[in-house]
Amino acid sequence: MAEVAYVNASRVYPGSPPVRAVDELKLDVADGEFLVLVGPSGSGKSTALRMLAGLEDVDEGAIEIGGKDVTNVPPKGRDIAMVFQSYALYPHMTVGENMGFALKLRGVSKPDIKAKVAEAAKMLDLEKYLDRKPKALSGGQRQRVAMGRAIVREPSVFLMDEPLSNLDAKLRVETRANIAALQRRLGTTTIYVTHDQVEAMTMGHRVAVLKDGLLQQCDTPRALYETPANAFVAAFIGSPGMNLKTVPLTAAGAQLDGLEVPLPRTTLDKVGADGLKEVTFGVRPESLGLVGAGEDGMELTVELVEELGADAYVYGSVRIADQPERFIVRVDGRTPPALGQTVRVGLRDHSEIHLFNPETGARIEG
Amino acid sequence: MRGFFSRHWYAYAMVLPAVIVTGVLVVLPLLQGAYYSFTNINESNIANPVLDRPASYEFTGLDNYANVLSGDASYGSFWDILLRTLIWTFACVGLHFVIGLALALLLNRPMRGRGVYRVLLILPWAVPAFISAFAWKYMFNAQYGIINQVLRALGLPDPVWLGQSDLALIAVILVNVWLGVPFMMMTLLGGLQSISGSLYEAAEIDGATPWQKFRNVTMPGLRSVSSTVILLGTIWTFNMFAVVYLITGINPNTRLLITYAFERFFNGASRDYAIASTYGVLILSVLLVFASVYRRALRRQGEVW
Repeated sequence: MAEVAYVNASRVYPGSPPVRAVDELKLDVADGEFLVLVGPSGSGKSTALRMLAGLEDVDEGAIEIGGKDVTNVPPKGRDIAMVFQSYALYPHMTVGENMGFALKLRGVSKPDIKAKVAEAAKMLDLEKYLDRKPKALSGGQRQRVAMGRAIVREPSVFLMDEPLSNLDAKLRVETRANIAALQRRLGTTTIYVTHDQVEAMTMGHRVAVLKDGLLQQCDTPRALYETPANAFVAAFIGSPGMNLKTVPLTAAGAQLDGLEVPLPRTTLDKVGADGLKEVTFGVRPESLGLVGAGEDGMELTVELVEELGADAYVYGSVRIADQPERFIVRVDGRTPPALGQTVRVGLRDHSEIHLFNPETGARIEG
Repeated sequence: MRGFFSRHWYAYAMVLPAVIVTGVLVVLPLLQGAYYSFTNINESNIANPVLDRPASYEFTGLDNYANVLSGDASYGSFWDILLRTLIWTFACVGLHFVIGLALALLLNRPMRGRGVYRVLLILPWAVPAFISAFAWKYMFNAQYGIINQVLRALGLPDPVWLGQSDLALIAVILVNVWLGVPFMMMTLLGGLQSISGSLYEAAEIDGATPWQKFRNVTMPGLRSVSSTVILLGTIWTFNMFAVVYLITGINPNTRLLITYAFERFFNGASRDYAIASTYGVLILSVLLVFASVYRRALRRQGEVW
């Protein structure tokens, strides 16, 4: 078990201009922590993980595991285990041999290997399949074998590269919970890469959001959701995404069609000091709701209703400065509005809004 | 039954030409050869329409097999030739595989000019075998050949390569290796490229050395490809006639089962069709036995094939 640190680590692919796949990543992961790296494709999350594994060079900066600089240490000297997206099970070996391979290479005695493999197999409910080849297993079973192969080694860090993306939706949810529980039980530091923000939010102690090789924000899931550091994180975290609109400022607040959202004095002062005429205004679908005719609100023309049972998401357009702007609103699943209907939408609470600088995307604290 | 044909007549019509060609070119000669091996047919008793002479060969049962398998020198010392053929086959296929694999591994790495190397290494395969054979024959020429010229320039002995010594066998093995490596290289390269890169990464993280990665990832990953090309290569090499015959002609030191069958058929005082056919049937039997043993061995290793 060990803590992990990226010390301004970069991966630069040569070219003109050079591609900075991971750009000065600075990240400290505590011992026993479950950290999720999340981002869209091409954000450098997998590259960052592979740098930690030693499969990818570190061009600038350093990587530390357990306080030791491992920047130039080959993978086998790093005491890590990795679960690949494709599982990378050795096709000619049985499940048991796959799980025990690393121990065999280390020269562990046969009875010891057998005992450790049996223990891991029991934990993952794989005992019946130890003599089978990977080919004869289902996707979920293969995934568990890949996990088992990592567990048997008792490494100081687990690395997981989108381990659930080859499973069907139902199995993914189930396995998600199992992996999180397993990590809690073993207490091994884990770095987990995914593009799925739901996985990130549900599994990680902390979540690091990457975009274009740059770390956007690293915090607990709740903090990411409630105080996103910039417009990208705000849009990326949460499903469906946050409504983000660039709107004009008035003396008292932000002007959205018929709805003027008052802003605290301090915020307005700050915005005024920066000389901004507009702000990027963000509000999550659940912070909006249907209101009566007399209350403050915007006229929303319903274009699509997604009924999920408990809730329904209403997609519609509001005219802001004569431009139609799309909004998503969460409403009660039992009484969704009909298509084409015009409804009045208001804010649930004036504190549940997010403001960002329209040019830099940075959060404006208020 | 009528419904079956009326429904599938098109498929039968399509395979018919192939069936006829195979029947005429393969099955009929095979059956005829097998029949001749039970007679004493030769040039003097075969039907000869020019001389208006009817066939007078007789059925002799298993005499030919008894004579050949006795290993008697007048019937070609079967066991000695078989031994030489086996040496030839395993030397050639072994070197094909080892050199082909080594080149495939080199070509599978990312490097500059990889495409050019690939084309150059396939060239021997693209050149018709008889042209290569004659080119090598001249290169091996004791007096004027480039090989001996180089050896002389280096102050080394310049042997007579293609004379009546075992050097001739070594020379034809060299040529056949040169000819056969490209095929092995290409098929093995294809096999290498089908091995997922993440397996190597997994092995790397599991702590495997390069040799252990080769043993535990590359070789098992190549198994289905290599087992096929080794079987094909063995059959082709066992029956390799052109290279041996074109380079050394009739030479007892390079005499293989297949060239001896040819020799017996076309040369000698009385062209002995019966013994030549017997050799043909024996070659077929050896290869059939080899192929079935080989397949059984693979199946025991769990290869679905």
